[in-house]
Amino acid sequence: MIRYLSRRLIGVIGVLIAIAAVTFTIFYVLPSDPAAAACGKSCSVERLAAIRAHMGLDQPIWQQFWDFLSGIFTGRTMGSGQYTLHCGFPCLGYSYENSEAVWGLLMDRLPVSASLASGAAVLWLLFGLSAGVTAALRKDTLLDRVLMVGAVGAASLPVYFTSMMLIYGLIRVAGLLPYPQYVALGTDPLHWASNLLLPWLALAILYAAMYARQSRSSMIETMAEPFIRTARAKGLPRRTVVVKHGMRAGMTPILTLFGMDLGGLLAGAVITESLFGLPGIGRLFYGALSTGDQPVVLGVTLLAATFIVVANLAVDLLYAVVDPRVRLR
Amino acid sequence: MNKRPLRPVATALAATLALCASGCSGTERPGSSRKNPATANLGAVIGGTPQKGGTLTVLSNQDFTHLDPARNWVMNDMDFGTRLLYRTLVTYKAAPGTAGGDLVPDLATGLGTPSHGARTWTFRLKRGVTYEDGTPITAQDIKYNVERSFSPDLPGGSDYAARYLAGAEGYQGPAQGKHLDSIKTPDAHTIVFELRKPFAEFPNATVMPTFAPVPKKRDKGPQFDNRPFSSGPYKIESYQRGKKLVLVRNTHWSASTDAVRKAYPDRLVVVMGLKANQIDDRMIASEGADASAVPWYALRPESAAKVLPNAEVRQRLLAESTNCTDMVQMHTGRAPFSDLKVRQAVQYALDRDSVLTASGGPAFNDLSTAYMPATLFDGKQPDTLKIPKTGDVEKAKRLLKEAGKPGGFETKMTVSTGDKGRAEAVQQSLGKAGIKVTIETVDPSAFYATIGDTKNRTDMVYTGWCPDYPSGSTFLPFVFDGRYIKEKGNQGNHSLFRDKPTMRRMDEIAAMTDAKKANAAWRQLDGEILAKSPTVPVLVRRWPLVLGTNIAGAYGQTSFGGQLDYATVGLKDPSKSQG
Amino acid sequence: METTQMTTTAPAPVAVPAGSGPWQLARAELRGRASVKVSLAIIALFALMAAGAPLLSGLGGWAPDAFDKSAVDPYLGGQPIGPLGGISADHWLGVEPVTGRDLFARVVHGAQVSLLIAITATAIVVVAGTAAGIAAGYFGGRTDAVLSRLMDLTMSFPSLIFMIAMMSVAKDVNRIVLMTAVIGLFGWPGIARVVRGQTLSLTHREYVDAARVGGSGPWRILTRDILPGVAGPVIAYTTLIIPGMIATEAALSYLGVGVRPPTPSWGQMIAESANFYDTDPMYFVIPSVCLFLTVLAFTLLGDALRDILDPRGSRR
Repeated sequence: MIRYLSRRLIGVIGVLIAIAAVTFTIFYVLPSDPAAAACGKSCSVERLAAIRAHMGLDQPIWQQFWDFLSGIFTGRTMGSGQYTLHCGFPCLGYSYENSEAVWGLLMDRLPVSASLASGAAVLWLLFGLSAGVTAALRKDTLLDRVLMVGAVGAASLPVYFTSMMLIYGLIRVAGLLPYPQYVALGTDPLHWASNLLLPWLALAILYAAMYARQSRSSMIETMAEPFIRTARAKGLPRRTVVVKHGMRAGMTPILTLFGMDLGGLLAGAVITESLFGLPGIGRLFYGALSTGDQPVVLGVTLLAATFIVVANLAVDLLYAVVDPRVRLR
Repeated sequence: MNKRPLRPVATALAATLALCASGCSGTERPGSSRKNPATANLGAVIGGTPQKGGTLTVLSNQDFTHLDPARNWVMNDMDFGTRLLYRTLVTYKAAPGTAGGDLVPDLATGLGTPSHGARTWTFRLKRGVTYEDGTPITAQDIKYNVERSFSPDLPGGSDYAARYLAGAEGYQGPAQGKHLDSIKTPDAHTIVFELRKPFAEFPNATVMPTFAPVPKKRDKGPQFDNRPFSSGPYKIESYQRGKKLVLVRNTHWSASTDAVRKAYPDRLVVVMGLKANQIDDRMIASEGADASAVPWYALRPESAAKVLPNAEVRQRLLAESTNCTDMVQMHTGRAPFSDLKVRQAVQYALDRDSVLTASGGPAFNDLSTAYMPATLFDGKQPDTLKIPKTGDVEKAKRLLKEAGKPGGFETKMTVSTGDKGRAEAVQQSLGKAGIKVTIETVDPSAFYATIGDTKNRTDMVYTGWCPDYPSGSTFLPFVFDGRYIKEKGNQGNHSLFRDKPTMRRMDEIAAMTDAKKANAAWRQLDGEILAKSPTVPVLVRRWPLVLGTNIAGAYGQTSFGGQLDYATVGLKDPSKSQG
Repeated sequence: METTQMTTTAPAPVAVPAGSGPWQLARAELRGRASVKVSLAIIALFALMAAGAPLLSGLGGWAPDAFDKSAVDPYLGGQPIGPLGGISADHWLGVEPVTGRDLFARVVHGAQVSLLIAITATAIVVVAGTAAGIAAGYFGGRTDAVLSRLMDLTMSFPSLIFMIAMMSVAKDVNRIVLMTAVIGLFGWPGIARVVRGQTLSLTHREYVDAARVGGSGPWRILTRDILPGVAGPVIAYTTLIIPGMIATEAALSYLGVGVRPPTPSWGQMIAESANFYDTDPMYFVIPSVCLFLTVLAFTLLGDALRDILDPRGSRR
């Protein structure tokens, strides 16, 4: 177990460094000039050169990359004189656009994206799995058909369309919810939920439909397995067979899916955040791209990749707990 | 300048329209029997006088570019900064219509005293004015902030100091302990500026946030942007970039030293990163807490259909002119636009009317037939070329044939993201004459850097210019004087127009002592340049804002491009606001 | 014949009457399903629309980028004149607000762009993924290790974020080609994993061993024995990833990093029309319904194909 873990962790770090290197390279060949963007409208040649030096853009790319990598662990000091910038551990760079360390920006926006992803995840698991399992157990009945037709329809709906319909129905016509505007969970849990419910629903409808389809087929497959037949033959109650044996084995593929989806969403549902005007990481990223705020782009990409690889690792570890057939080597 | 900045503008236009607003409730457009439904509130204050207290909410789809006074040089941000957070030597009067362009003393006791033929300017400061911590504001602090604006770490601010102060060449800010000798502070209440050349309009420049005080011990370099130290009626309680800014009262600010700022609300909350169209919908509905809210950015053209037919919403609509002329600018320095006939073909092919529609229609825009906005023509632009507003494709094709390009040609145009719709209208109409335009959209923040790179930029750009104050000297020389073209960071003259007779005439007019004669000469020159068509004037936009039903004391400040004047806005009934 | 040889070893555990190949069987089964008929009809409709876009818009009388100022009211922010977003004999599906461009012409040209990108990207993904999967599964050893690591790495990339970044960085390139390449770049590991697993199980089947003993080279074995064996799951998987590709194109265009104006695509149309969803609902509904129907049709077809060609494997 320990050996497995350490091996995986090394792999994770390797993947992250590789992703950092690729991202870094792409944005180094980026034609726009971050120093020029930071310099503004009335920019003299001297001013531009000074800013470029300050940002470290005059150094070779490998040096910049090394500074970046080592800076994550040791922190960095940029510039000199009165306006020295200290960027402490974990330093993911400094955003000149926002006059703030990238890490601080990410942590400022993360609660928004995390609230969005987690709330939506609860909803889609709840609805998706219950619909999928119900349909599987009532295979080929009318209920099954209705649920699956609904699921395939909902999965095909463009999220833009669902979002606008939700806004129109729940805000404009019914007046049930406010226009989404992020309120911190700590400030006011009720407003947090009521403001986020709409984006949650928009995301959850799409994902619940996909999860219903997946969990149905996975459950049907599992219920046909020999060990289920054995359990039944032993005379175990149907409930026990379904929940203890069927669900446990049938849900493992869903777990993989869930790990990847949640990992991806944590680092910003770019479309949903943009549709509802939520200041999450996705919006930060999109804004940074258009302003050429290279450090933020790199930071978001790395954060997103971290979430994805960590989620994958967590899923693999959970497998061992959930599915007795899996042994970690 | 375009959306750029400084523009003390006295709008004669606004005045004429305001007169009309009382008499005929709208303006007639030639060739149209319909009245402009958006301009009924021009020159008026919406909601009467506000009550003190409550929370004013500002709904925004974006963050401020910079709030650090040394870096703040965007029209809207300057309004917000100088009306709420910091005071400058001189500022604009808080009044609707043309009066909004009048200068009034702010930290200074007067509008400055010139000497040495307007080469030296002396300002005396009011006494007993303090920062948010109660410490007094000194002349040295104003000098310090002007010096800061030279620092390479603090880019973005206005360059008036760099253009005019003596000995400012190559100055890199106060970081290494170097100071500007041309700013003298004989005592804590006197500041003297020594200029390189005579500059009679220097008080207009001291309206810039560059001339706000920053105490040295509070300066945190670039991070100062996230927490400017207040000398105005409000101070920052919290600022999360891109998310939320909360302002609370600065208890050390006193109305007795400040004739401009009224500071009605107790708190201001700016919510950022919202979806623009959802802001429009919220403002139109104006329900609950939104009744005490104002939008930060102008109404989107697609929301016009929800606003204009609705008389109740129209009562809450401001639509002051921005006074900036949008232009299609061609690179006159290289083929194909080095050929006058080709440029004229563009001028004739352009369907300004469809660009106007893409820009929100005649309610939110005025067509341009000259370069300088109507303000500089006593309210109405002349139409010297008489090109139909929908263009003349046949004539354009003839001109192309004469230029030896009967089949047209391909070219590229750079536009700011927000101008995509306007650009598509340009693209479509030029396409009819055979000029195939590819549109490159660039984010507003990177737009000026992109088009300022004269070597690598596209042959066409879509951008505009706003006069800094009602004088032709702040328009034509900035847009058409070839001697100020820079290879990188070029601004204003995006047609790279280097025309000797034009430049000679501009020098002659600048030397005129009779302001009336000079004005007439600028107007004539405008038409002469138009005949050489380095750029095609398209339209002048308005700045439409729909306010909440509980908002009072609101008008579009003509000097800040029609943005709401934050010095006077407040609530009718503070108890109805939340937060 | 190869096909008959395959029937005994094909992954699909179908009871096989003598004399009929799996493909014939599959076809027979497909023909029996109503959902397949409907989805094929929808796909055919949109495919025809895409292929005949210039012809169709010619019939309508409008080019996709031609403005019609007479169809919109400039005083109302450019709202279409007339009911249902300006639907008339002149404009069959109404017009775009502000510009007055013909919606029918834009929808059919948009179909061309959207489907072209989705299907080309899918082709890239399928070819690259199948090749990588077969190579990894058949050769094993170091090839497998390297390819598997590469798959892991690619799958760890936050793909949408990365696609947006790459689209906005590249300026002077053909947007459609770039978008296809970028979407394709991140899609291949999924299919490669499926194919790799399938290949692994096939490599040690008797008939493959027999071919090897019989002196066939690896190329011949791969193309003659392995490839037909993995074809079923690949076809099913392909159909199922097309909706994802269409949605990705729409997402990129929605975020403004997709096609350039005035080129229409469904994603671009939805992005622009979302702002008019309440003032001009038809404008918003038309491209949304097109996107919905296409995604739905491919999903239904993919479901059916998977049930028939690959009843057990290839699920995530």
